[in-house]
Amino acid sequence: MFSRFGDTSRDFALLDEFRRRLDRVWEDMDPSWSASPSSSSSHSSASWPRVNLYDAGSNLVLKADVPGLSEKDINVTLNESGVSISGARKVSAPEGYSAHRQERASFSFSRSLTLPCKVNPEQTQASVKNGVLTVSLAKAPEAQPRQIAVQAH
Amino acid sequence: MANQTDLVNHSNGRIEAVQQREATAPVVDVYENVDELLLLVDVPGATNDGIEVQLDKGQLTILAKRREDAPGSLLAAEYRVCDYLRVFSVPQGIDPAKIDAQLSGGVLRLRLPKSESVKPRRIEVRQG
Repeated sequence: MFSRFGDTSRDFALLDEFRRRLDRVWEDMDPSWSASPSSSSSHSSASWPRVNLYDAGSNLVLKADVPGLSEKDINVTLNESGVSISGARKVSAPEGYSAHRQERASFSFSRSLTLPCKVNPEQTQASVKNGVLTVSLAKAPEAQPRQIAVQAH
Repeated sequence: MANQTDLVNHSNGRIEAVQQREATAPVVDVYENVDELLLLVDVPGATNDGIEVQLDKGQLTILAKRREDAPGSLLAAEYRVCDYLRVFSVPQGIDPAKIDAQLSGGVLRLRLPKSESVKPRRIEVRQG
Protein backbone atom coordinates (compact mmCIF):
# COMPACT_ATOMS: atom_id res chain seq x y z
CA MET A 1 0.00 0.00 0.00
CA PHE A 2 2.73 2.40 -0.91
CA SER A 3 1.58 5.79 -1.97
CA ARG A 4 3.57 8.67 -3.28
CA PHE A 5 3.08 12.22 -2.25
CA GLY A 6 1.39 14.07 -5.01
CA ASP A 7 -1.23 16.45 -6.12
CA THR A 8 -3.83 13.72 -6.47
CA SER A 9 -3.95 13.05 -2.75
CA ARG A 10 -4.53 16.72 -2.15
CA ASP A 11 -7.44 16.66 -4.58
CA PHE A 12 -8.86 13.68 -2.74
CA ALA A 13 -8.54 15.55 0.54
CA LEU A 14 -10.75 18.25 -0.91
CA LEU A 15 -13.19 15.63 -2.19
CA ASP A 16 -13.32 14.03 1.25
CA GLU A 17 -14.09 17.37 2.83
CA PHE A 18 -16.79 17.96 0.23
CA ARG A 19 -18.32 14.57 0.90
CA ARG A 20 -18.35 15.18 4.64
CA ARG A 21 -20.12 18.46 4.10
CA LEU A 22 -22.69 16.83 1.83
CA ASP A 23 -23.26 14.06 4.36
CA ARG A 24 -24.05 16.72 6.91
CA VAL A 25 -26.53 18.42 4.61
CA TRP A 26 -28.36 15.12 4.14
CA GLU A 27 -28.34 14.50 7.87
CA ASP A 28 -29.88 17.88 8.54
CA MET A 29 -32.62 17.23 5.99
CA ASP A 30 -33.33 13.65 6.95
CA PRO A 31 -32.08 12.43 10.35
CA SER A 32 -32.56 8.79 9.37
CA TRP A 33 -29.70 9.22 6.91
CA SER A 34 -27.19 9.23 9.72
CA ALA A 35 -28.32 5.73 10.69
CA SER A 36 -27.00 4.34 7.43
CA PRO A 37 -23.60 2.72 7.93
CA SER A 38 -22.05 4.34 4.88
CA SER A 39 -21.99 7.77 6.44
CA SER A 40 -20.86 6.61 9.86
CA SER A 41 -17.18 6.74 8.98
CA SER A 42 -16.19 10.21 8.02
CA HIS A 43 -12.65 9.25 7.16
CA SER A 44 -11.53 6.38 5.03
CA SER A 45 -8.80 4.72 7.02
CA ALA A 46 -6.66 4.10 3.93
CA SER A 47 -5.91 7.79 3.66
CA TRP A 48 -5.83 8.61 7.35
CA PRO A 49 -4.04 10.44 8.78
CA ARG A 50 -3.51 13.18 6.25
CA VAL A 51 0.16 14.02 5.97
CA ASN A 52 2.14 17.12 5.07
CA LEU A 53 5.81 16.88 4.23
CA TYR A 54 8.26 19.75 4.62
CA ASP A 55 11.86 20.20 3.61
CA ALA A 56 13.76 21.95 6.42
CA GLY A 57 17.21 21.92 4.87
CA SER A 58 19.12 19.25 6.75
CA ASN A 59 16.04 17.22 7.56
CA LEU A 60 12.58 16.35 6.34
CA VAL A 61 9.64 17.06 8.61
CA LEU A 62 6.45 15.06 8.34
CA LYS A 63 3.32 16.31 10.04
CA ALA A 64 0.01 14.54 10.47
CA ASP A 65 -3.21 15.38 12.28
CA VAL A 66 -3.94 12.66 14.81
CA PRO A 67 -6.52 14.15 17.20
CA GLY A 68 -7.15 12.13 20.34
CA LEU A 69 -4.15 9.86 19.85
CA SER A 70 -1.27 9.71 22.30
CA GLU A 71 2.28 8.53 21.64
CA LYS A 72 1.26 5.03 22.75
CA ASP A 73 -1.31 4.72 19.97
CA ILE A 74 1.05 5.43 17.09
CA ASN A 75 3.83 3.35 15.60
CA VAL A 76 6.31 4.98 13.29
CA THR A 77 8.64 2.66 11.41
CA LEU A 78 11.36 3.59 9.02
CA ASN A 79 12.88 1.55 6.23
CA GLU A 80 15.16 2.14 3.28
CA SER A 81 12.85 4.14 1.10
CA GLY A 82 10.04 5.29 3.27
CA VAL A 83 8.24 5.71 6.51
CA SER A 84 5.16 3.91 7.83
CA ILE A 85 2.65 5.22 10.32
CA SER A 86 0.22 2.80 11.89
CA GLY A 87 -1.95 2.52 14.93
CA ALA A 88 -5.49 2.52 16.12
CA ARG A 89 -7.89 5.20 17.11
CA LYS A 90 -10.57 4.25 19.59
CA VAL A 91 -13.55 6.47 20.09
CA SER A 92 -16.09 5.20 22.58
CA ALA A 93 -19.26 6.83 23.73
CA PRO A 94 -18.92 8.07 27.30
CA GLU A 95 -20.75 6.03 29.90
CA GLY A 96 -24.34 7.01 30.53
CA TYR A 97 -24.73 9.29 27.53
CA SER A 98 -26.90 8.83 24.48
CA ALA A 99 -25.47 9.87 21.14
CA HIS A 100 -27.02 12.51 18.89
CA ARG A 101 -24.25 12.67 16.37
CA GLN A 102 -21.13 10.58 15.92
CA GLU A 103 -18.82 11.82 13.24
CA ARG A 104 -15.58 10.86 14.94
CA ALA A 105 -14.91 7.30 13.93
CA SER A 106 -12.71 4.66 15.50
CA PHE A 107 -10.56 2.64 13.18
CA SER A 108 -7.09 1.30 12.79
CA PHE A 109 -4.84 2.83 10.20
CA SER A 110 -1.64 2.12 8.37
CA ARG A 111 0.11 4.27 5.84
CA SER A 112 3.36 3.84 4.02
CA LEU A 113 4.92 6.82 2.35
CA THR A 114 7.81 7.05 -0.01
CA LEU A 115 10.29 9.76 0.89
CA PRO A 116 11.97 11.92 -1.73
CA CYS A 117 15.48 11.17 -0.44
CA LYS A 118 17.40 8.80 1.81
CA VAL A 119 17.24 9.48 5.51
CA ASN A 120 19.38 8.59 8.49
CA PRO A 121 17.34 6.23 10.71
CA GLU A 122 19.52 6.97 13.75
CA GLN A 123 18.49 10.60 13.88
CA THR A 124 14.77 10.31 13.49
CA GLN A 125 12.50 11.77 16.13
CA ALA A 126 8.75 11.61 16.50
CA SER A 127 6.48 13.46 18.89
CA VAL A 128 2.80 14.18 19.40
CA LYS A 129 1.61 17.57 20.56
CA ASN A 130 -1.90 19.03 20.49
CA GLY A 131 -3.03 16.14 18.35
CA VAL A 132 -0.38 16.67 15.69
CA LEU A 133 2.26 14.06 14.99
CA THR A 134 5.64 15.45 13.96
CA VAL A 135 8.33 13.17 12.60
CA SER A 136 11.71 14.72 11.99
CA LEU A 137 13.87 12.73 9.59
CA ALA A 138 17.50 13.67 9.14
CA LYS A 139 18.59 13.46 5.54
CA ALA A 140 21.34 11.00 4.74
CA PRO A 141 24.74 12.67 4.27
CA GLU A 142 24.59 12.31 0.48
CA ALA A 143 21.22 14.04 0.41
CA GLN A 144 22.25 16.98 2.57
CA PRO A 145 22.30 20.34 0.86
CA ARG A 146 25.84 21.35 0.07
CA GLN A 147 27.22 24.81 -0.23
CA ILE A 148 29.42 25.16 -3.29
CA ALA A 149 31.99 27.87 -2.98
CA VAL A 150 32.16 30.08 -6.04
CA GLN A 151 35.74 30.78 -6.93
CA ALA A 152 37.07 33.93 -8.43
CA HIS A 153 39.51 33.68 -11.29
CA MET B 1 -22.20 26.11 6.03
CA ALA B 2 -24.12 27.89 8.77
CA ASN B 3 -21.32 30.32 8.62
CA GLN B 4 -22.09 34.01 8.74
CA THR B 5 -18.94 35.78 7.82
CA ASP B 6 -20.05 39.21 6.69
CA LEU B 7 -19.32 41.92 9.18
CA VAL B 8 -21.69 44.24 7.41
CA ASN B 9 -24.53 43.25 5.19
CA HIS B 10 -23.79 44.80 1.83
CA SER B 11 -26.97 44.49 -0.15
CA ASN B 12 -25.48 45.30 -3.53
CA GLY B 13 -22.41 43.15 -2.94
CA ARG B 14 -20.15 45.44 -4.95
CA ILE B 15 -18.19 46.76 -2.03
CA GLU B 16 -14.76 45.38 -1.26
CA ALA B 17 -15.05 42.15 0.66
CA VAL B 18 -13.51 41.81 4.09
CA GLN B 19 -10.70 39.34 3.88
CA GLN B 20 -11.36 36.28 5.94
CA ARG B 21 -9.29 33.40 7.16
CA GLU B 22 -9.97 30.05 5.68
CA ALA B 23 -11.81 27.67 8.01
CA THR B 24 -12.80 24.06 7.85
CA ALA B 25 -15.63 22.26 9.63
CA PRO B 26 -14.27 19.88 12.29
CA VAL B 27 -15.87 16.50 13.00
CA VAL B 28 -18.02 16.49 16.10
CA ASP B 29 -19.64 13.95 18.41
CA VAL B 30 -22.69 15.11 20.34
CA TYR B 31 -23.84 13.23 23.45
CA GLU B 32 -26.53 13.92 25.98
CA ASN B 33 -27.45 12.71 29.43
CA VAL B 34 -29.91 14.05 31.99
CA ASP B 35 -27.52 16.73 33.23
CA GLU B 36 -25.74 18.02 30.18
CA LEU B 37 -24.89 17.99 26.52
CA LEU B 38 -21.36 16.87 25.72
CA LEU B 39 -19.56 17.77 22.52
CA LEU B 40 -16.28 16.26 21.40
CA VAL B 41 -14.61 18.19 18.61
CA ASP B 42 -11.46 17.18 16.72
CA VAL B 43 -9.28 20.29 16.44
CA PRO B 44 -5.72 19.02 15.92
CA GLY B 45 -3.12 21.75 16.16
CA ALA B 46 -5.30 24.21 18.04
CA THR B 47 -4.11 25.57 21.36
CA ASN B 48 -6.01 26.80 24.43
CA ASP B 49 -5.70 30.50 23.64
CA GLY B 50 -6.98 30.03 20.10
CA ILE B 51 -10.35 28.62 21.07
CA GLU B 52 -13.48 30.71 21.18
CA VAL B 53 -16.78 29.22 22.24
CA GLN B 54 -19.83 31.43 22.17
CA LEU B 55 -23.50 30.85 22.84
CA ASP B 56 -25.66 33.59 21.45
CA LYS B 57 -29.35 33.51 20.52
CA GLY B 58 -29.44 29.74 20.66
CA GLN B 59 -26.42 29.39 18.39
CA LEU B 60 -23.29 27.76 19.65
CA THR B 61 -20.24 28.90 17.72
CA ILE B 62 -17.04 26.93 18.06
CA LEU B 63 -13.98 28.59 16.59
CA ALA B 64 -10.53 27.10 17.02
CA LYS B 65 -7.67 29.02 15.56
CA ARG B 66 -4.67 27.15 14.37
CA ARG B 67 -1.35 28.89 14.21
CA GLU B 68 1.44 26.72 13.05
CA ASP B 69 4.63 27.79 11.41
CA ALA B 70 5.76 25.58 8.60
CA PRO B 71 9.03 23.92 9.63
CA GLY B 72 10.41 24.36 6.13
CA SER B 73 9.36 24.57 2.54
CA LEU B 74 6.33 22.47 1.72
CA LEU B 75 7.12 19.43 -0.42
CA ALA B 76 3.73 17.75 -0.41
CA ALA B 77 0.42 18.68 1.16
CA GLU B 78 -2.58 16.54 1.89
CA TYR B 79 -4.19 18.99 4.24
CA ARG B 80 -4.25 22.70 4.77
CA VAL B 81 -3.42 24.28 8.07
CA CYS B 82 -6.49 26.39 8.73
CA ASP B 83 -8.94 27.37 11.47
CA TYR B 84 -11.88 25.27 12.57
CA LEU B 85 -15.36 26.71 12.64
CA ARG B 86 -18.69 25.11 13.30
CA VAL B 87 -22.05 26.48 14.38
CA PHE B 88 -24.81 24.51 16.08
CA SER B 89 -28.34 25.36 17.10
CA VAL B 90 -28.65 24.57 20.76
CA PRO B 91 -31.96 23.72 22.46
CA GLN B 92 -33.26 26.05 25.10
CA GLY B 93 -32.36 25.53 28.72
CA ILE B 94 -28.57 25.61 28.45
CA ASP B 95 -26.92 27.93 30.92
CA PRO B 96 -24.29 29.90 28.94
CA ALA B 97 -22.39 30.83 32.10
CA LYS B 98 -21.76 27.21 32.99
CA ILE B 99 -20.35 26.02 29.68
CA ASP B 100 -17.05 24.29 30.27
CA ALA B 101 -14.39 23.74 27.63
CA GLN B 102 -11.35 21.55 27.93
CA LEU B 103 -8.70 20.79 25.35
CA SER B 104 -6.52 17.74 25.41
CA GLY B 105 -4.58 16.04 22.64
CA GLY B 106 -6.29 17.99 19.89
CA VAL B 107 -9.78 17.10 21.08
CA LEU B 108 -12.00 19.83 22.49
CA ARG B 109 -14.44 18.65 25.14
CA LEU B 110 -17.39 20.98 25.62
CA ARG B 111 -19.86 20.47 28.42
CA LEU B 112 -23.14 22.34 28.28
CA PRO B 113 -25.00 21.84 31.57
CA LYS B 114 -28.77 22.01 31.40
CA SER B 115 -30.51 24.45 33.69
CA GLU B 116 -32.64 22.99 36.48
CA SER B 117 -35.90 23.93 34.79
CA VAL B 118 -35.43 21.57 31.84
CA LYS B 119 -34.15 18.54 33.71
CA PRO B 120 -36.63 15.69 33.90
CA ARG B 121 -38.38 15.57 37.26
CA ARG B 122 -39.98 12.62 38.86
CA ILE B 123 -43.42 13.35 40.26
CA GLU B 124 -44.30 11.52 43.38
CA VAL B 125 -47.83 10.11 43.42
CA ARG B 126 -49.54 10.75 46.73
CA GLN B 127 -52.01 8.47 48.36
CA GLY B 128 -55.52 9.77 47.70
